[in-house]
Amino acid sequence: MSETRNGLVHVDHVWKKFRYGEHNQLRDVIPSIARRVLRRPDPEGGLWSGEFWALRDVSFTVRPGEALGLIGPNGAGKSTVLKVLTRIFRPTHGRCVVRGRLGALLEVTAGFHPDLTGRENVFLQGAVMGMPRRDIARRFDDIVEFAGVAEFLETPVKRYSSGMQARLGFAIAAHLEPDVLIVDEVLAVGDASFQQRAFARVTELVRQHIPVVVVSHQLDAIKALCTHAIVLERGSVVQTGTPTQCIATYLRGIAAVPPAAAYDSALRVESVTLSSPRVASGSRLTANLTGAVIADPTTDSLSIRFRVREATTGDMWYEADSRALGVSTPVSGGFSLALEVQLNVPSGLYFFDVYVWDSAFGRVTFVGPSTTIEVRDGVPFDGMVQMNARATLGG
Amino acid sequence: MDLVRSRELLSELTRRDLRLRYKQSVIGVAWAVLMPLVVIFSGWIVRVVFASVSGQPVDAAALAGVAVKSIGWAFFVGALAFGTSSLTQNLALLTKVYFPREMLPLAAILTQVVDTAVGTVALMIVLPFLGVVPTLAALWLPLLALMLLCMTTALTLLLACLNVFFRDARHLVQVIISFGIFFTPVFFDASALGQRAARLLMLNPLAPVLEGMRLALVSGHNLARPLVEANGVTVWSPWLLTYAGLWSLVSIVACSVIFHRAEFRFAEYI
Repeated sequence: MSETRNGLVHVDHVWKKFRYGEHNQLRDVIPSIARRVLRRPDPEGGLWSGEFWALRDVSFTVRPGEALGLIGPNGAGKSTVLKVLTRIFRPTHGRCVVRGRLGALLEVTAGFHPDLTGRENVFLQGAVMGMPRRDIARRFDDIVEFAGVAEFLETPVKRYSSGMQARLGFAIAAHLEPDVLIVDEVLAVGDASFQQRAFARVTELVRQHIPVVVVSHQLDAIKALCTHAIVLERGSVVQTGTPTQCIATYLRGIAAVPPAAAYDSALRVESVTLSSPRVASGSRLTANLTGAVIADPTTDSLSIRFRVREATTGDMWYEADSRALGVSTPVSGGFSLALEVQLNVPSGLYFFDVYVWDSAFGRVTFVGPSTTIEVRDGVPFDGMVQMNARATLGG
Repeated sequence: MDLVRSRELLSELTRRDLRLRYKQSVIGVAWAVLMPLVVIFSGWIVRVVFASVSGQPVDAAALAGVAVKSIGWAFFVGALAFGTSSLTQNLALLTKVYFPREMLPLAAILTQVVDTAVGTVALMIVLPFLGVVPTLAALWLPLLALMLLCMTTALTLLLACLNVFFRDARHLVQVIISFGIFFTPVFFDASALGQRAARLLMLNPLAPVLEGMRLALVSGHNLARPLVEANGVTVWSPWLLTYAGLWSLVSIVACSVIFHRAEFRFAEYI
């Protein structure tokens, strides 16, 4: 039935509205009906009080052979998108089409009943996920072997450890033979060796030329599995692109530097201009900063710091302080500052963050704009550090 | 394809419910016989007390009638009790996996059907000892059982769905279970109340079904023909069959529509 494997995911201008708070008592219904009869909804998006958009105008298409990663902070709407895809939620506006049998690696233990044995739960969960009993029976041994619970098959699942439950759930879901695959955070299940096997299994499924949608906070996994990505923020798609680009966009927004203290900094950095947004690995780059001293209090204890962060992980790779570099902090008026770095790093995307540090209080007083540097391969190399190797052949 | 999937899911969920119902219980499946038995015995006690008050002897046919109707009533009440909470008790499933939502209440009803089947077999063994010999009129029973099934399913779907949005539904079910038996001819026969009261009582859609079961099986009465007692009280009219049939049809259609309209909001509201 799935030999054609022409699954498709098409999300077309989907909006999803939710309400805050509780609303399951009869006494709330009459006021709400009265409100609906008496007032018109706010023409701006049609929201009633107490409602909010969990998804705003989200669109994407995933074709066979493509794997889409959804990236975004908690509450951005990633899970809501998945629930719309799995038909648990119906979109308020817009259309969502999933063609083919959908296999969802999310909440893999949802169908389990604690009082039933492992064996009974395999069949129950399989049925809930839409797997014919015949297919489950055929793959039963594979599932049990993958989960590694063979000796506990006749034990009620409530006596399983949470890791065992999750492993069994994953094993069932991973043997579904879907036409469309959805993966949500399940890659963090079980111990290291199981995670490895789980990852290998998901990779295997992704390679089967079916559309895949992945949600994970493990950005490495997104990078390894996906061909495309989108960044969601507060229900909207803020970027579409390659996983590397999207991860960079996402990380630029978070954890750049510690948040600035809540008062006006005496010193501010207003702009950061790079001599070139793209440089070859191992070459030098100049960042020109402009800023201003706002006047009192004194700038004695202030200095300008900058960081270079690797964009797919957000890890800080380099940080330096203007005082340490021998620059005294300006005391009044506008200023410009040139910072030069040699990018002895592998190719990839990096962030260049600037902030103002107050050494007297040990805190950040101002966070400057963040820019992106794209480092390209010069002479290809493997490893962590560009060492600008040169080879000379003697005669 | 979707239908096959639904059927397998229904059977799997029913299996689950049956296993759970009798797991960790000492007497297990015997409960399936014991529960209706309790209802039957209560009915018999009521009948014997009534009879001794009015000074008339209790005949075996009356006891058999109570037994037959009790099984039907026990099915209705059991399905309602389990079915109403079927959605709210499977919260994890509803909010995390998509499957046809009506499978949960339907599985609860199907579980009750299996249960009732066990009780019915037990009843069939006992009935001959009460002097009941089934006649051709017993062929009406499948139709009546179907009507009972339709009405029970309709009400269960409605209440299960209502229970998701308003937990008041649970209490409503308690009321139906506790007091419904006073407005349904289970322990007594409708005709015993006199012409006017009987007519009123027969407006309860369950009444014609249960009375029909008793008449068809115990009295061997052909339901296509009216039955009037010697004192002029109408015991049965073929119109009652039409009435109950209409209720079954209309209620199952209406409640299914309501359920399907509401079903996509379950995951958000639960």
